[in-house]
Amino acid sequence: MSEPLAITLVSARTTLTAGQPAMLGLRLQHAAGWHTYWVNPGDSGLPTRVNWTLPHGFKTGEIAWPTPQRFTVDGLANFGYEGDVLLPVLLDVPADARPGSSVRVRASVKWLACHEECVPGAATLAIDLRVGSATAMSEPDAAFARARSTAPENGVWSSVARIVGDRIEVEVRGADLGDGERLDAFAEQPKLIANAPPQFSLRGGVPVLAFAKSEYFEAQPKALDLVVARPHARAIRVHAVFVAADLARPAPASPN
Amino acid sequence: MKLTFALASGLAASLFAAQAIAAVSIGAPAPDFTLTDSNGNAQTLSHYKGRTVVLEWNNPGCPFVHKHYESGNIPHQQANATSAGVVWLTINSGAAGKQGNVDGRGANEFIAQYHASPTAYLLDGDGKVGHLYGAKTTPHLFVVDASGTLRYMGGIDSIASADKDDLSKATQYVPQVLADLKAGKSPSVTTSQPYGCGVKYGP
Repeated sequence: MSEPLAITLVSARTTLTAGQPAMLGLRLQHAAGWHTYWVNPGDSGLPTRVNWTLPHGFKTGEIAWPTPQRFTVDGLANFGYEGDVLLPVLLDVPADARPGSSVRVRASVKWLACHEECVPGAATLAIDLRVGSATAMSEPDAAFARARSTAPENGVWSSVARIVGDRIEVEVRGADLGDGERLDAFAEQPKLIANAPPQFSLRGGVPVLAFAKSEYFEAQPKALDLVVARPHARAIRVHAVFVAADLARPAPASPN
Repeated sequence: MKLTFALASGLAASLFAAQAIAAVSIGAPAPDFTLTDSNGNAQTLSHYKGRTVVLEWNNPGCPFVHKHYESGNIPHQQANATSAGVVWLTINSGAAGKQGNVDGRGANEFIAQYHASPTAYLLDGDGKVGHLYGAKTTPHLFVVDASGTLRYMGGIDSIASADKDDLSKATQYVPQVLADLKAGKSPSVTTSQPYGCGVKYGP
């Protein structure tokens, strides 16, 4: 069997600039039929994790997870990626990084790759980057531009979540969710919603996504963070703050 | 458009219904079942009323199961539990032809290989009991108390990984739940996110 996943550490630009954030990425190339996992893997699986070893003064952010896909295997729902995908990570370059110097960034990565069966993987990757001057900034790699243009979008919509019986309803005010057809939504936090796609409705013109409560649901958190995938537009990020179900009850369902 | 939308919401509604049927819940009676074990004997959950029962979902081919067997973690927990009078039922819901599906002999070889000591290894090739409990991963653990009430469901421990190195840092939930029950207390942790391979259910 060939390897289920080829993984490389890449940089958006060939040179870094002191004091300017840079973008690194883990490029995951999955063998046909294989997938790896999002930050919330769903019913089974494990998210890809990375530990960085950085030169003094450098700092990395969290993985900027691209919009995941839903995989259903033997009736279980999994969230993750297939094909060729980039997991971008922000790198803070200190202001005192010396132009002309070279730095080595190391990433220790662990993942789980599955088709139907699963194979855990681990790799230590490294990339050498040169600190240049701001004027000599290189062109960003196209894969990073693509990742940025398809990443879930933060927007001006406001959202609240309510627990209604054995369901969690999320109102998304101000976002265009169309007629709800082929929408999907993924919760960043596990143990809140069951992993089936949401039920969509319009309540007084406001889109509402209803989810079955997870059987592992224990206590109401402050908020539920969703990535809502739309069929013909970029996915959106929704931060839904929980409010009491009996407060500010939504208007009755509109007749259409 | 309208028609498609109606069908889509119908589908979502039926998913909710399926969820409601499949799910077991903490504090509710654990559903009864009978399965044949690796030695050809019938094993019925309700026959163990009066004793605490651990249900452990298993797939001998799954790397997460390897982690917890090769390291001795699950065999150790089984030995401690059963010597204290707890019943430990290992259940395999893998369908025929899929990874980890075993017959009685295969199950007994697996037990011998890892010096495991479950009370019994139950064969659930049609996935009936797995679906009844909503078992999703291997491993996936459930604890039923002496009165037949479900007291814990979830992962084997607190660190979701396929790495043996993480075992020493992880909280092992089943021994903790068993100790709480033995002391007459409510378990301090009653659910956790199960992690591992998906259960290899049949169609």
